[in-house]
Amino acid sequence: MKLSSFRKKSPWILHYNAGGCNGCDIEILACLAPKYDIERFGMINTGNPKQSDILLVTGPVTKRSRERLVEIYAQMPEPKVVVSCGVCACTGGVFRGMYNCEGGIDQYIPVDVYVCGCGTRPEQIIDGVIQALAILEKKTKELEQSVRLKKEPVKEDTQLNRRNIAGEIIKTA
Amino acid sequence: MNGLLVPVLMILFAPLIGGLVYGFERIIKARMQRRIGPPLLQPFYDFLKLADKRKMIVHSTHAFLGIMHFVSLWFALAVLLLGGDLILVIFLHLLSTSLLILAGYSTRSIFSHLGANRTAISILAYEPVLILIAVSVFMLTGSFEVASIFSYSEPLLYKMPLAFIALLLILPIKLKKSPFDVAEAHQEITGGVELEFSGIFFEAIYTAKWLDYVFCYTLVYLFGANNPLLGIGLVIFVFLYLNALDNSSARVNYKQMLRFSLIVALPIAFINLLLTILHLS
Ligand code: SF4
Repeated sequence: MKLSSFRKKSPWILHYNAGGCNGCDIEILACLAPKYDIERFGMINTGNPKQSDILLVTGPVTKRSRERLVEIYAQMPEPKVVVSCGVCACTGGVFRGMYNCEGGIDQYIPVDVYVCGCGTRPEQIIDGVIQALAILEKKTKELEQSVRLKKEPVKEDTQLNRRNIAGEIIKTA
Repeated sequence: MNGLLVPVLMILFAPLIGGLVYGFERIIKARMQRRIGPPLLQPFYDFLKLADKRKMIVHSTHAFLGIMHFVSLWFALAVLLLGGDLILVIFLHLLSTSLLILAGYSTRSIFSHLGANRTAISILAYEPVLILIAVSVFMLTGSFEVASIFSYSEPLLYKMPLAFIALLLILPIKLKKSPFDVAEAHQEITGGVELEFSGIFFEAIYTAKWLDYVFCYTLVYLFGANNPLLGIGLVIFVFLYLNALDNSSARVNYKQMLRFSLIVALPIAFINLLLTILHLS
């Protein structure tokens, strides 16, 4: 029996809201409540990066929260996995192209599982976490690097530019 | 020889017993909330998983103090189970808690400091009551030795029921259960002193918590000492009482906790002491 086989039996979760609308956070907390009860898989919502294995991030990374996100990620001891919950953590979602955020958390930290949905359902979150556990079991204790420096930031013209749209609306009105 | 076998086995397997108690408690708590709850061996899964994490420490003194907390707590438990001096047991337990407080102050994390402050305050809340109970035991049996409780003619519960009530009131403070879990307060200061520990060093703190269960339930068992059935009944009663209380109450702040223990629990222990003395004379 290897020690790494116990990882999937007691995954401790850290949940961070990087500027989302709180819709996904409520669904994550709903997973802990009696109806879905993820504690039966041994999961605890620790709230402490130094003792947790899975980082659940919701929300597009606003420019205010990105340092904290990277810091929290760096404080978690390996092996660890990141699950991005909700479409705005995956790509930016409805917030993509706004002045205060770039698209998605994978601009800053390596993401292992993407869970979609604007307001992810608790079932989807549990599914995503279970997939993350399979990845967690294979990981080693090596340090992981942020991918931020290797990636180009999202360019303005690949996105919807809301200011232009707003300008056109004003013009036509 | 036979009399020594059970305590020695209990000392050696104290973390195992405590872990089982903790696992059982998590199931009971979940059932009280109509959840299914984790498997019974969940604490041990956590333990084995934490052993497999990358080692990160804040600084070496911090990690060392954490491990010493565990070792000295185990030592206090050993003295208690071998029938040693009750005052010595209480002060050894105090020593282990103060090591934890020192560890909390040795980092620069604000939550760690808050947790250490609150742990110190909770010591202030439960320690006088425990000592008064120990003094009443001395008045009754004529000795501070735990062994003398076992050789006394009647169970302590019949002789000093008020002391048992006082113990019931401070046990939630000692075991960090709501409504008196200010020292840990997971939603508020995310664990307090244990915040900065990680991986294999957190394990020492995590296991020390299990030892604390064994310690407290042994204290409870002492009240039914020479009647094993009564002792076990008391332990089960206290277990259910603690979990029901933990599930049904909200956290009070540290001032209320201190006020409650000094105004309610301490006088009860004191009256118990007076009654014991009056009864004897
Ligand atoms: S994905 Fe939708 S519901 Fe979730 S945080 Fe973003 S905007 Fe809110």
